[in-house]
Amino acid sequence: MVTAQAISYLSPAITDDHPILEMRGITKHFPGVLALDHVDFSVQRGEIHSLVGQNGAGKSTLMNILAGVYPPDEGEIRIDGQPVQISHPGEALRLGIGTVYQELSLVPKMSVADNIFLGRETQRGIMIDERLIVSRAQAVLQKLGVANIDVTTPVGELPLAQQQLVEIARVLSYNPRILVLDEPTAALVQEDTEHLFELLKGLKSQGIAIIFISHRFKEIIQHCDRGTILRNGRLVKTIDLRGVTEETLAESMIGQQLESFYRHSPHAAGRVARTTLEVVGLSIGKKVRDVSFSLRCGEIVGMTGLLGAGQNEVARALFGAQDEVSGLIRRNGHPVFIGSPRDAIRQGIGLLTENRKREGLFLDMSVKENITLPSLSRLTRMRIFIDNVREIRSARQFIDRLNIVVRSPIAKIRTLSGGNQQKAILARWLMRDLEVLIFIEPTRGVDVGSKAEIYSYLDNLARQGKTILVVSTEISEILGISDRILVMYNGRLSRVLEQAEANEETLLAAIQGGMGDGR
Amino acid sequence: MADKLTRPRIANRSGVLTGVRGAINGRLTTLINFLGDFSTIVVVCVLFLFFGLTSERFFLTDNIFNIMKQMSIVGVAATGMTMVVLIGGIDLSVGSVALLSSAITSTLIVNYGWNTWGAIGVGLLASCLVGLVNGFFVEKLLISPVIVTLGTLIAVRGLGQKVLWINNSWIEVKDPIFDYVAIEKLGFLPVITVLMFGLYLLAAVLLKQTPFGRYIYAIGGNQRAAFLSGLPVTRIKMTVYVLCALTAGIAGLLTVSRTGVVNPTLGQGLEFDAVTAVVLGGTSLAGGVGRVEKTLLGTAILVMVLNYLTIRGVPGEWQAAVTGFLVLAAVMLDRIVRKRSTQGI
Repeated sequence: MVTAQAISYLSPAITDDHPILEMRGITKHFPGVLALDHVDFSVQRGEIHSLVGQNGAGKSTLMNILAGVYPPDEGEIRIDGQPVQISHPGEALRLGIGTVYQELSLVPKMSVADNIFLGRETQRGIMIDERLIVSRAQAVLQKLGVANIDVTTPVGELPLAQQQLVEIARVLSYNPRILVLDEPTAALVQEDTEHLFELLKGLKSQGIAIIFISHRFKEIIQHCDRGTILRNGRLVKTIDLRGVTEETLAESMIGQQLESFYRHSPHAAGRVARTTLEVVGLSIGKKVRDVSFSLRCGEIVGMTGLLGAGQNEVARALFGAQDEVSGLIRRNGHPVFIGSPRDAIRQGIGLLTENRKREGLFLDMSVKENITLPSLSRLTRMRIFIDNVREIRSARQFIDRLNIVVRSPIAKIRTLSGGNQQKAILARWLMRDLEVLIFIEPTRGVDVGSKAEIYSYLDNLARQGKTILVVSTEISEILGISDRILVMYNGRLSRVLEQAEANEETLLAAIQGGMGDGR
Repeated sequence: MADKLTRPRIANRSGVLTGVRGAINGRLTTLINFLGDFSTIVVVCVLFLFFGLTSERFFLTDNIFNIMKQMSIVGVAATGMTMVVLIGGIDLSVGSVALLSSAITSTLIVNYGWNTWGAIGVGLLASCLVGLVNGFFVEKLLISPVIVTLGTLIAVRGLGQKVLWINNSWIEVKDPIFDYVAIEKLGFLPVITVLMFGLYLLAAVLLKQTPFGRYIYAIGGNQRAAFLSGLPVTRIKMTVYVLCALTAGIAGLLTVSRTGVVNPTLGQGLEFDAVTAVVLGGTSLAGGVGRVEKTLLGTAILVMVLNYLTIRGVPGEWQAAVTGFLVLAAVMLDRIVRKRSTQGI
């Protein structure tokens, strides 16, 4: 079924004068961040167009604007040459823009057919016409080129790859002319990915324009026609992907001028430094298997891998915030048990998670209260009452030290920008004087200025002899700040790179699971 | 609501701009906070004047004392309830706990000739035990607090009534300490009211000036973050349930001292009065936001309304309906305020 119209597949059909989608001068501000800065983006009928960029480059913001999730501050969107206003997700669907989001939004207990037509059940009288839904669902799956899914099975019983297809089928049932896929392959194995691209090529031959977001360069180069590269909210360029290498793509994604942005100076690396934290044979459920490494004082260790390779779980396990952990953790040479964050903090280990709002901030509380919370029992009189003067003085001390921009220590923390909120959480652990600090995606959702500041704090902390572990999927960040790099692949620690041997090429390869030492 | 105004759009690069804007918005925020802080007290004053002017009996000294005494019982139970609501929970067993503590204490005094303080101690200890059970089921077994405390509401009332059976479900208590609390005055205030104020002072200091109080707000505001900050979340929340049961037990004993009898319906509906007072005082049912002092004002509103209806001869069933609508109105208000404030994020 895929090959039925395969003749037209090689030439992105440019029969019309206008591209099917044109976005011009799109600009979007968020508090504290310029997410998109006059970005131009256009897509032709019948092409697979890849949107390339690091986390925070603006890909999702651009696609959210296209999907009507929020409006742009400036800029114009044209479809078939006609200017349109997309003020609402329903509007986008009507205009023929279908979006498949990274997180599946299926109801596990409902059947495939019911999921596809959820909210649009065809009725006969007041009854839902189940037979019609089933046949229409089959037709949609047919169009996608999938025939082997029984539309009456509950979605939850299907393997993940097929759930992904159901999600795509649901969007296809709206008959979109533009299909946006946000990291559809992140959770898929190689074989399913290949299959997905076969299906996408079938759709492409039907004249549907496909916008494809992925972090895997290999599949982008192999399967996409053109690519648009974004960096820090700006358009770098749109290129033809034929004959492009992974390296050049990575280079243009990361940019050249980053040398000065990061601190390349090695810390304790090379010198014989005390091992502060050692992990032996750490396993976490089915997600992580047999990971061993050690961290020394005064160094910054970066940990990276594909989304879901297990690096976040490892970081959380060190902080006692992960279930099903087995293995041995040694702190300064002594085996320790870390069953909860409380245990971890007692052992001098702190964690800053990637999910500030949910896991870090007390939005209804002041900046001062957010900073002092874990140290509060030390700021008391007669060990009972909070010593207000001392509390505010020590909070102010850390606000100054970390250069947190805030009117007063008693301002609500929700009034701060993302970068300043992040610094406040960092202040929380610094006040507690922890020795080992673990950061998961420390600069996610943080503007460029704060980013540089956070890097310089990490550097300073390492110089003061702290042990720093940074978990990030941003390659440039990992390369820029790490003395050593631990690469996770598929739940295992697949490679350890010293700073000297690490560059974009080796790191990217290692992340994709290639060239691993023992693999 | 004020946050929307103060949110700095460009925070980092242009410190000067933020500073100027911050100063203006700062003053505006202060004004809004000021009005927000005092809106409850304004309502109390307006109601007080309105009721006084539309009823001859409302301002009579006896009636004012009556209101104060009535407030004491609901008010005491509402202190503990405020804390439970602050951690994002709820305790529906309050009325039954009041019955249990008063039944046990009274039986020990009347049937076994116990020393009054000893009997009070045992009664309150039993209350705390119920709180511990509530806390255990909610925090260790992770069952919804509504379900758990609904269960203890029924079970503990049964238990209290069982204790009362020894005396054919009716105990008359004549005890100097109980009489003192009910009848005497300290200065111009009834002892029972002074006790209530004392408890509020304690609760306010606990919430505002101790790490434990701060932890309560932190847990109510963001439990996950509190856990990841290393707070002993489970222990703190269980303690709060115990404290709530303790205040419920005290409320039960105050009821005995006022009425002089324990019967099977003692404390019935106290949980709803307490929740109403908490919500009228502006504590968010979602947890994390609220002040115990304002629960006192909420109690005043509730009790004044009920008192006024009684004076005006409104039948009991209508009073219940009015209380119910007060709860709904307060919850709706909570909802609106919360929506406004989350939009400001």
